[in-house]
Amino acid sequence: MKKTILCGLFLLGSTSFWAQQKITYEAYDLPNGLHVILHEEHATPIVAVSVLYHVGSKNENPNRTGFAHFFEHLLFEGSANIGRGEYSELVEKNGGTLNANTSQDRTYYYEVLPSNQLELGLWLESERMLHAKVDIKGIETQRSVVKEEKRQRVDNQPYGSFFTEIFKRVFTSHPYNWAPIGSMEHLDAAQEEDYVNFYKTFYVPSNATLSIAGDINIEQTKKWIAKYFGSIPQGQAINLYRDFINLDDNAFLTKYSVEKSEFDQKNFMNSQNPAAQKLIKYFMSQECEIVRTQKDTAPITGIISDTIYDNIQLPALFMGYKMPSQTHPDTYALEFLNEVLSSGSSSRINKEIVEKRQLAQYAFSFNYGLEDAGIGIMAAIAPKEVSLDTLLAAFDQQIAAIKSSLISEEEFQKVRNKFENDIASSNSSIAGIAENLADNHVYYGDANRVNTLLSNYQKVTREDILRVANTYLTQDARVILYYLPKEK
Amino acid sequence: MKSLYLLLILILTNGVFAQLDRSQRPAAAAAQKINIPASQVFTTANGITVILSENHKIPKVSIDLSMGNSPKLEGNKAGLADFAGSLLMSGTQTRSKDQLDREIDFIGANLSAGATSMSLSCLTKHLDKGLELMTDVLYNASFPESEVERIRKQNLSGLQSTKADAGEMAGNATRAVNFPGHPLGEIMTEATLQNIAREDLIQYYKSTFTPQGSYLVVVGDINRAQTEAMVNRYFATWQGGPVYQTELGKGQFDKGNRVIFVKKPGAVQSVVYVTFPIDIRSGHKDQLALTVLNGILGGGGFGTRLMQNLREDKAFTYGCYSSLNITENGSWMSAGGNFKNAVTDSAITEILKEFAGIIEAQVTDEELSLTKNNMAGGFARSLERPQTVARFALNTIKQKLAPDYYQNYLQQLEAITKEDVLRVAQQYFTAKNCHIIVVGNEEILPKLLVFDTDGQIEKLDAFGAPIKEVKTADISADELIEKYVLAVSGTSSKKAALKKLKTVKSYTRISEMSSEQIPFVLTSTDYFWDGGKEASKMEMPGMVLQKSYYDGKAGFTFSMQGGREDLKAEEIAAKQKASGFIPELNYKANGMTYELKGMENINGQDCYVLYTTDGLAENYDYFSAQSLMKLRSTSIRKIGEETMETTTNYSDFKEVSGFKFAHAFSMTVGKMSLNGVVKSIEVNPKLVMTEDF
Repeated sequence: MKKTILCGLFLLGSTSFWAQQKITYEAYDLPNGLHVILHEEHATPIVAVSVLYHVGSKNENPNRTGFAHFFEHLLFEGSANIGRGEYSELVEKNGGTLNANTSQDRTYYYEVLPSNQLELGLWLESERMLHAKVDIKGIETQRSVVKEEKRQRVDNQPYGSFFTEIFKRVFTSHPYNWAPIGSMEHLDAAQEEDYVNFYKTFYVPSNATLSIAGDINIEQTKKWIAKYFGSIPQGQAINLYRDFINLDDNAFLTKYSVEKSEFDQKNFMNSQNPAAQKLIKYFMSQECEIVRTQKDTAPITGIISDTIYDNIQLPALFMGYKMPSQTHPDTYALEFLNEVLSSGSSSRINKEIVEKRQLAQYAFSFNYGLEDAGIGIMAAIAPKEVSLDTLLAAFDQQIAAIKSSLISEEEFQKVRNKFENDIASSNSSIAGIAENLADNHVYYGDANRVNTLLSNYQKVTREDILRVANTYLTQDARVILYYLPKEK
Repeated sequence: MKSLYLLLILILTNGVFAQLDRSQRPAAAAAQKINIPASQVFTTANGITVILSENHKIPKVSIDLSMGNSPKLEGNKAGLADFAGSLLMSGTQTRSKDQLDREIDFIGANLSAGATSMSLSCLTKHLDKGLELMTDVLYNASFPESEVERIRKQNLSGLQSTKADAGEMAGNATRAVNFPGHPLGEIMTEATLQNIAREDLIQYYKSTFTPQGSYLVVVGDINRAQTEAMVNRYFATWQGGPVYQTELGKGQFDKGNRVIFVKKPGAVQSVVYVTFPIDIRSGHKDQLALTVLNGILGGGGFGTRLMQNLREDKAFTYGCYSSLNITENGSWMSAGGNFKNAVTDSAITEILKEFAGIIEAQVTDEELSLTKNNMAGGFARSLERPQTVARFALNTIKQKLAPDYYQNYLQQLEAITKEDVLRVAQQYFTAKNCHIIVVGNEEILPKLLVFDTDGQIEKLDAFGAPIKEVKTADISADELIEKYVLAVSGTSSKKAALKKLKTVKSYTRISEMSSEQIPFVLTSTDYFWDGGKEASKMEMPGMVLQKSYYDGKAGFTFSMQGGREDLKAEEIAAKQKASGFIPELNYKANGMTYELKGMENINGQDCYVLYTTDGLAENYDYFSAQSLMKLRSTSIRKIGEETMETTTNYSDFKEVSGFKFAHAFSMTVGKMSLNGVVKSIEVNPKLVMTEDF
């Protein structure tokens, strides 16, 4: 039976014009609010275990920027049951790999393990979710590491500050104003308590998505998930438990008016003492509330232009436009627009600005879509002898052209073919599938969007592209940054 | 399934939690067997080895063509191969670059070319079109003049930006220092880029892209029969010459640590690489044990010695890694990262300590099993990509591995012991003979001195070439020549010097020269007579190798290979400009072009740099500001398209008959180096010279 279905799918796949591999998955919520997504495939005996926390730099206190990214570091420091430095060691010595990343909108942790180590991966991630080590020793070590990361990735990197500089000017009234790397002064100024509170607010099951893909048995996986994640307390009870393990007797008593000794050390949630039970029940019913940021649709006011002196040899031009949120329907047409402008050797910007007129070493444009808004970036690095004003004029000419007439049928078909090719390759790794499923659930409320993405691009018309060019490429409301070599 | 629902119901209704002992770490379930799908291999009549790895998960095919040649030394055209590679896609006999770009992009394909390879990837349904374009480039690349100049210009700008990129500069220095005089150590500079002509590029393309010895790796949604038909249709007619293959050197092994510094003004961090060559090639039996060793030291993940020490413990860096690079053409080890200025020296200390530690004692059982498991996991994960299977097949052929090498990989890995790891550490690693590359702010320089065994930090530019720090000289060229003449003749006035020089009618000098590259000692004799005539002879036991003779008006050269050749008019003219016992004295009178270029530091001594050109060769002579002796002479001569550079260093100055002569010298001619010792010098000997001397 299974075989015939597979054959049928294969035929369908190879005959339909738009080839897209279908990703099957199961999704459900645990009572504590954790969303679970499971994708099963057996081609290679490996599994990707990931947890997406819906917290990014935009959720930070403006006086404590860099926290979300800092936690990405801190949460490798161990847990109540995992020693310092042991987290990564446990993964690596069992043949896995792990990493994490932080954006303005989310923090994402993942392990790719041999499939027989799935249970280990679940235990590790559940430890991180329940009672990660947030203490002064780890904070201090990771503070220095993050400072080095900033030096390496931003300060010592030619043009490395452009993201920060553009966001700062495009978003003046939204927390996208600062970059995920944040401010080192803020990290220094923060107290241990600030860090503990951040963990308590955002690292709770109801703010997380557990996405698993690979060589798994779904039934067995669900049992393990129930065991390791189902046992994580619901609502604010998780923070009651965290206080129970972190506070001393007096502090706990002062805060909750119940002695710590009334709780069952080994089986906290099943503590038999009535006062303890009452407290647990009460906090279970208290939801973990997270104040969400609002969509930012305010236009940029006028042309904001600045010069930045950097340790570079070649001057460069960076431009930023305000774009809609990534969930806005215009996103697909905007992607088309960027493809026509700068994807591939035959794109307009490459042909005209780089090859024909030789005004740039590299030139590109892309749409950086985020949850509350997006940013359109156009950039070019100029040869020494080219003035940035000439380069800017050349960009403006291209923008004027794409705003004034429909793209050609050939360009249109080319970009359609490109999307087909890209989407066919997009879900080739299980780590990628786990991440795509989680992202689509969190941002679009629809993990199945991984399967319907192509149709969204199919709907775009040449007229749509002309319309979005005119709506969003606002020449009188944009950020223009001139990067020039520092005087030596 | 039932039990799960029960559990959920329990939680929801009673608020009772299953008791879970979280300190219990889950054990591994039974391991799944790893299957490596077989690749298929066949060869074509014109010499292509085709490797097919079928995978029908995604309706795409990728085709990678790579040449089987060894890299060549490019000398003053360094970068030629890469330059040619980046121009392959610039148009064909029938398609302009614009057309080619449009057609590739239209089918959503990726087609790219490099110095020795081409790659295509596209949806299966576009494969024919993709191959038509790929083979058009392969057979008919046209290297249009305008594109050559455009890419040249772009490369020039790219070279500019290298000067701002610490990582790139460190990479250049690593190659240059580990592999001098080796294709791996050659780096494109503005000068070498300018030397490359369109004809060089075409010549490179024609000689390199040949079916003989090439590999065509086909991966994806295509079967054997389709592959054979495809190869037959697109590649059967491809013709080309024999493939160039040669044994390359093993790299620069030094005694003692050398600190190599590259300046990056304004840097807040230094890039540090501690590096040395390793004398093995890919496929060597020790490769796997070395890979385990590197994995423990710093090759993978967060748990390594370097990462735990320099990041997790000391917080010196965001990441400290080591990399083991084993290639078909030469291999090297490198460890380092980015460190803020204040801890750069401490970081070097720790990295060296980690090298020393891993050479001294066996790794622990935990480290060994961690790394082996990590590698086994990496091996399994890599199999997710269909390209991996094809790469295994390619390596098996190219590196002459056992046919079941990859099938047995995990068992072989498991069999590696602590003793194996220690043995390869001691055999191939060093903490005492390292090249310590630092790219950073000059303010940290004093703190690096302690690491350099001879106390002389070498400074390189962004492209791995030694920096010449030129200062302005405080005297004129004529003043220099006068001082030099006084110093050589041991006199205190020009008048006295001229008087003393007049007494020299002739002299002979006999030297012995030896070289690592030659198994016997050469004897060289120089003759000078009649105030301006000269001859020389180089012999090995029982045989004259070279001779030259010049009587002031005419002369000849003789060599074993070339026989006798009379001096040409321009050679005679050049000789006349530099004649005499001390030729410098007569530069002005004889019409030599000369100019004092300034001052440079040679081996710790400030030297005046005198530039001369006699119309044939350009010379740079270095005179010590202190002793005024000539310490070095570099001659650059263009012969046809090649330039030949000869550098001679002079030392051990001793007086003979009232004149100071160097009694030791070392000579570098191209890749050859010779050491010379003067056995005897005789001033005014009885000398009757004829052409048959």
